[in-house]
Amino acid sequence: MLLIILWLIQDLLTVFTGGGMQIPGVFMLGLVYRLLVDDGTESEDSLWAIWSAFAAGILWDLRWVGIPGFFTLGYVIVVMIVIQVWGAIPPSSRGASGTSLIVFALMEVSQMLPPLLPVLILGGSAGWNFFLMQQIYSLPAILFCMYIYLHHVRNNKV
Amino acid sequence: MDNTRSTAREWVHGLTALILGLFLLGISSGLGVIKNIVDFWGSILFIPEYPAVVLREVYLGWKGRSQDRERLNEEVARLRSENAKLRLDLARLSGEKVYENASGDREVRTARVTLRAPMSWWSEIRIDRGTQDGMSIGQPIFSNGYLVGRVSTVAMMSSWAELITSSGFMIPAVIEETRELGVVVGDGTGLVLLKYIPAGRSVRPGMMVSTAMISEQLPPGLPIGKITGAFLQESDGYTTYRLEPGADMSGFYTVSF
Repeated sequence: MLLIILWLIQDLLTVFTGGGMQIPGVFMLGLVYRLLVDDGTESEDSLWAIWSAFAAGILWDLRWVGIPGFFTLGYVIVVMIVIQVWGAIPPSSRGASGTSLIVFALMEVSQMLPPLLPVLILGGSAGWNFFLMQQIYSLPAILFCMYIYLHHVRNNKV
Repeated sequence: MDNTRSTAREWVHGLTALILGLFLLGISSGLGVIKNIVDFWGSILFIPEYPAVVLREVYLGWKGRSQDRERLNEEVARLRSENAKLRLDLARLSGEKVYENASGDREVRTARVTLRAPMSWWSEIRIDRGTQDGMSIGQPIFSNGYLVGRVSTVAMMSSWAELITSSGFMIPAVIEETRELGVVVGDGTGLVLLKYIPAGRSVRPGMMVSTAMISEQLPPGLPIGKITGAFLQESDGYTTYRLEPGADMSGFYTVSF
């Protein structure tokens, strides 16, 4: 439910800006955050995340790109990267301060990869400018997400 | 053991999703049915998106841009109407056949561009006005008072419009200063050309081009842009000129109609 709301927030923000400004991928930030804080559920797989990303990507493509596939691929690739990288870290070490950098990198990947695919495939300097602007706009959202994550880790330690 | 199985399942599902995504990307660009799905999904989202649309309009109004645009649109509409009437009078005086729908006495309204797909960036756009707003096939759309395209398909709440930069776009046009007739065509990569102007005519950069009286698809006198220079000298005695559209073809978010 939270992911649906985040997708809608991302959509509404894009409508509000009229497409003139790139909006941070709050849906992917929420999805990555959920994958990162879902500790202690190693026995369960993360199939929900893969198919949520797939569905959200298709719906985003249908709404804003017109051709399904671009964000669909980007979202699924991000989820696979997060699952593999996070899965490679032992659960006991996940709250350590050293992993903060990895968490930041994973959140950054979630913002960088999906809009990068259309730019790489379609090219064009306008696309690159748009992409770079989105990365700048995404940074505050990533830092906010990091703050929530660190807060969550700190609370769980106590 | 459970962990290994779980990882394997994740890989299988992940790769399946990726292959499905690639498959969709591969087949969908050439499928017309995708456009219907896009329209359907857009009409579903119209309801939850409505508050954002209203908020955006309120925000623009607050900034004063909306009022400025409306004032400009009214001014453009008034001038266009006056221009069309003058052209009709001129045509009647010269004994030319008059296109009866050329009268421009109507309200100018705006539509928001809701989709401009990268694959067809120079070919078409979707706007948030449909049959319920009085849109019809063939209707011209404008940006900054200049023609940017015409409506190609209409749904109840949205329409698709073919842009003047589309390779399928062809309309008779006239050079205002010399009254030479030609055909305006797009090339699908952002260029707009004026073709079939006999070589040796005194056509110069900066001359204005508008839709011609002989067109049955669009009313005469709709401004398109200005000539920037000769593009190609055909061997059959005709010259192709490059046009600079009056509208910013890569940076418009709303159109008027």
